[in-house]
Amino acid sequence: MIDQLPIINMIMFLVLALAIPFLRKVSFRLTLILGFVVLGLVTVSSVFILTDVMASGPILYRLGGHERLIGIELEVDLIAALISLFILGLALVIYIYSTGDATEGIEEREYARYYILFFILMFSLFGMVYANDLFNNYVFMEIMSITTCSIISIKRKKDTYTSAFRYVMLNEIGSLSFLFGVALLYMATGFTNITLLQQALSTLWPAYSANVIIALGFMLVGLGIKAAIFPFHIWLPDAHASAPSTSSAILSGIVIKIYLFVMIKVLFKVFGLRILDDLNISAALIAIGSLGMIFGSLFAIAQKDIKRLLGYSSIAQVGYIVLGIGLFSELGLAASVFHIFSHGMMKSALFLSVGIVVFQTKRRKIADFAGLGQQLPLSMGVFGIAALAMIGLPLTSGFISKLTLGVAALDHNQGYLIVIVILSSLLGVIYYLPILVSAFLKRIPEDAARPHLEKVPRPMIAAIVILALAIIVFGVFPNWILDIIEQAVATLGLPA
Amino acid sequence: MKPRMADGQENKRTLKDIITTQSSILVGILFLMIVIFLLFRANAFGLADWFATSGALIAFFRQLMRFSGWPLVLIAIPLIGAFLEMAFGQKRVIKRDRVVILLTFLTIVVVFLMYPAASSEGLVLKLPGIMGLGLGFRVDMLGYTVLFISVVVWFLVMVYAHEYMKLEKHCTRFFFFMALTFSAVLGTIMAGDLLTMFLFFEIMTFTSFMLVVHGQSDESYRAGHNYLIMGLIGGFLILAAMLLLYFFVGDLEFASAITKLGELGNLRYWIMALLVLGFGIKAGMAPVHFWLPRAHPVAPTPASALLSGVMIKVGAFGILRVATSYFFPDKTMITDYLDPLWLTTQTIGTAIIWFGIVTMAMGVFLALQQSHMKRMLAYHSVSQMGYIIMGVGIALYLGYRGAMGYAGALYHIINHALFKTLLFMVAGVVYYHTKEYDMYKLGGLWKKLPLTATVCLIACLGISGIPLFNGFISKSILHHGIIEAFEYGHPSFRLAEILFMIVSIGTACSFIKFFYYVFIRRTDNPYPRLKREYTTLDAAMAMLGLFIIFVGVAPRFLLGNFIIPALNQTAYDPYFIDHYIVSLRFFTWEDLGNAGIVVSGGFALFFLGTRFHWFHLKLPKWLSLEYVFFYPGYVFMKQMCRLMYGDKCPIDQEEMRTLSVDDENVSFTDRFTVALKVFNRRYERSIIQSDALIYTGLITALLLYMFVFGRF
Repeated sequence: MIDQLPIINMIMFLVLALAIPFLRKVSFRLTLILGFVVLGLVTVSSVFILTDVMASGPILYRLGGHERLIGIELEVDLIAALISLFILGLALVIYIYSTGDATEGIEEREYARYYILFFILMFSLFGMVYANDLFNNYVFMEIMSITTCSIISIKRKKDTYTSAFRYVMLNEIGSLSFLFGVALLYMATGFTNITLLQQALSTLWPAYSANVIIALGFMLVGLGIKAAIFPFHIWLPDAHASAPSTSSAILSGIVIKIYLFVMIKVLFKVFGLRILDDLNISAALIAIGSLGMIFGSLFAIAQKDIKRLLGYSSIAQVGYIVLGIGLFSELGLAASVFHIFSHGMMKSALFLSVGIVVFQTKRRKIADFAGLGQQLPLSMGVFGIAALAMIGLPLTSGFISKLTLGVAALDHNQGYLIVIVILSSLLGVIYYLPILVSAFLKRIPEDAARPHLEKVPRPMIAAIVILALAIIVFGVFPNWILDIIEQAVATLGLPA
Repeated sequence: MKPRMADGQENKRTLKDIITTQSSILVGILFLMIVIFLLFRANAFGLADWFATSGALIAFFRQLMRFSGWPLVLIAIPLIGAFLEMAFGQKRVIKRDRVVILLTFLTIVVVFLMYPAASSEGLVLKLPGIMGLGLGFRVDMLGYTVLFISVVVWFLVMVYAHEYMKLEKHCTRFFFFMALTFSAVLGTIMAGDLLTMFLFFEIMTFTSFMLVVHGQSDESYRAGHNYLIMGLIGGFLILAAMLLLYFFVGDLEFASAITKLGELGNLRYWIMALLVLGFGIKAGMAPVHFWLPRAHPVAPTPASALLSGVMIKVGAFGILRVATSYFFPDKTMITDYLDPLWLTTQTIGTAIIWFGIVTMAMGVFLALQQSHMKRMLAYHSVSQMGYIIMGVGIALYLGYRGAMGYAGALYHIINHALFKTLLFMVAGVVYYHTKEYDMYKLGGLWKKLPLTATVCLIACLGISGIPLFNGFISKSILHHGIIEAFEYGHPSFRLAEILFMIVSIGTACSFIKFFYYVFIRRTDNPYPRLKREYTTLDAAMAMLGLFIIFVGVAPRFLLGNFIIPALNQTAYDPYFIDHYIVSLRFFTWEDLGNAGIVVSGGFALFFLGTRFHWFHLKLPKWLSLEYVFFYPGYVFMKQMCRLMYGDKCPIDQEEMRTLSVDDENVSFTDRFTVALKVFNRRYERSIIQSDALIYTGLITALLLYMFVFGRF
């Protein structure tokens, strides 16, 4: 029975997404409740999966019982189980928030469409996490690109269309690069199944070196575009600026993280350490990650729009994760996975609290934040906690990320990386602190009379408070999650 | 500006009466407690024997004193207080202030209870698992000494603040953050490992930032911004050192790590440099002191008193703590000053001594130029921190025989807390009555404020190092220390000793000037609105004045009960401690002679200075910090801008103009932000528009990289 759970999870999302158009006639409330039920059920089953995987190793499931070579295979190992729970946790919080207000700027009749997209997105996310086949990964990637693009452009405005168009073009390039890489591997080995590929590649590597190198290059760049790794981040700030806050949170908190997870899969499960070491990929990833950490923050400093600023900050944080992956050690990868979680929470908290601010005051210029802390103490308070966590203050999850990443860098004899981590945190101080100071301490400008503040629906408040608490709990008691992560990372066969 | 009455005029009388009497009684109890403590330690009337032997109730009490959870209790008290104060708020001012004062007093009681545990084996508490590595607390005599002086001073300042804060707005917010800061300070002092220390240190930076910007004027925002950025930079430096220590030593607990550190080569100096700079920023050490004279004066007086009196000490304490734990050999391992394990501290110590000397000289020179009372006192804080840092340096430099420097630094931490807090309080009282900070506009106040004038005189005598007042004691010890440094060590410290004397003369002169201009000098201003009445301001100041005299007259009290036990817990030569510190004689002719030189030099400098206008020197512009850093930066940005934009360079337009104006108020980070905007405006869009180019460029680069550098 427990083998069936992964596919049941995916089917539940898909069925719900397909059912929503029919439910529309009945009642919108029913849709919301059903969505909640499905998310809850999937969470329960994911917890079951996690405990089972921890007890008795990865779950393998073949659709239709076909053999590996031609069939679709799902594999849930410990990392996948963890990541799926992380997605669910964040998705639940964002869902709760969106029941309060889906919707800043979305027309009311589009609400149902938003939830259809949301659940298809969940379906494709789970597909990417579970799929043990590169081609299936590509298929889910395409589903995800299209749904994400629709979510970005759900507001019917001109600038959202431009940024959605840019997003879809770049992501197509990324997907196609990835597909090209998969094709090259298929040409060399005849497989797309990850397990088979890995076995084949380790023997075929010296013979088909050109194939493998070009495949790796294209796949890395393709995933790099999708994960907004530094020089490919181009689409991200615009997409964030125009999408509704919930979508920004999904995009920054979950979607780009999944591509990073696929990157981990591709690097360590498909190619394996030997090929990567021979090609010296570690140094390249470290360089890209460090550049991202610095330049993302530098661009963020000069932003005037709060959501663009948060977008650039995401680029810097993706740099941390890439850096951790690039260390090619268990410690480094554990730091990366932890940062995927902690950044997911912090960035969602930031976007959602900004969402409340935008909802209430209809303002999003940083200059307009003066005095907001006194007007909206709760949402700005959560913003403050999350921003301090981004800077890496102790007692927040951001501090633990920095600590683990720093130790991992030292372990890899790359002590100078500490300088970069700290420099990046300092740049973070430069762009987050003035916002906090002006929000909490500056007086409300008297000449600009504030518009009437709208009342905030309770679910929105609940969502951001949960996130803020989670940030602190992860910061104060990180050991339980770090232990599971270390256990999970150990299965990838990296040097300790 | 009229003083803002909390609840209107009528209420003010009752309000004053209740809390003034109550807190005066508390201050009296504090004095009694110290006397009882003294009697206990001296075993007068057989008190200590009686306590050690008798009764079930007393036995319970003895057990209570061994309770290892005291550090948590101590941290929790102000935290609870903070939320109580928030709950009472602006509406129930009397209750709020009573909570503030009573809970701070409670911390003193708890600290007294901790003495037996701290002075024997130290109070240790571990909380494993929190924040990954686990938190730990340890109160040994070094920590206890700083803890003791901090809570006493904090309590007196809170008593003072009750009256003083009637001048300010948003008092509840002030007391709330004051309490949080107190909690963080206590945590930092009691920390048993670097992680715990770092945690509370960061919290302290943030909460005390709220105290600095309390006035919410532009000036305080600028100063606060500087303060926060510098504090966070310091925090990050400590974080870096912590990562290195954790990785290479494997444990962050404050214990000897020198054998492992010794294998690291030059990296151990990097670690120490990061720590010294990190804590040094908070301590106001010379090259990174510039935030201090801006931040301390803008805060409300109780906050500036505590910033200067307690919080900068935490920085010095941090240096002393990490140096004498990680970088010292284990007490049981070492028997000789020639042991090669001391070489590391010797090198570190040399650097720190010179940092201290530069800090003290620079501080006193700049202090002499000030007319704003609080700014002058802040510069003196820098200068006095120089003494302490020099003492720390000697403690490290002389290694096994460095007990004199350690004792001097610790003693001066205590003394400086006493007199600098009192001096800030005096400046605050003067402002409270006259609304004036400029000392050249004041004068003749001794008639109007005789008590304030008396305590101010006591504090001035203390800080100048006059015999029978506390500064004399610690300065003599430090002077012995620096003499030992050149006798046992390098002859170049002779120069340090000379500078030490010059700085002491400068300090004396500066306070002669301060006292003369504020209290003695004749003025035409009769201060008609000045009403004198007994308030909590007087109670707090009088008590501090008494302490200063008490320490000056009976120097052995602190030495015997706090400092020598602290020395004995450190890896110093027991023989040296027994022969030089325990039997240290203070009022020798030599030390008195030095004090005489300092006083006469001070007077001479004062007369010469007023005659030849030495106190209004303006440094040439090219020497100022702004000019040295910002002008090259501006030129560089201009060239970069030309390069990026060609003829359409926007460097002198709009906000970019702030880069060129020689405006001291544009801080480093502002300039950095503006300069970034120049770069950003040019490149953000063009990067976004050249997506295809970046894609092809990068994929080619990546493939080339793999083909060229790969092994296959």
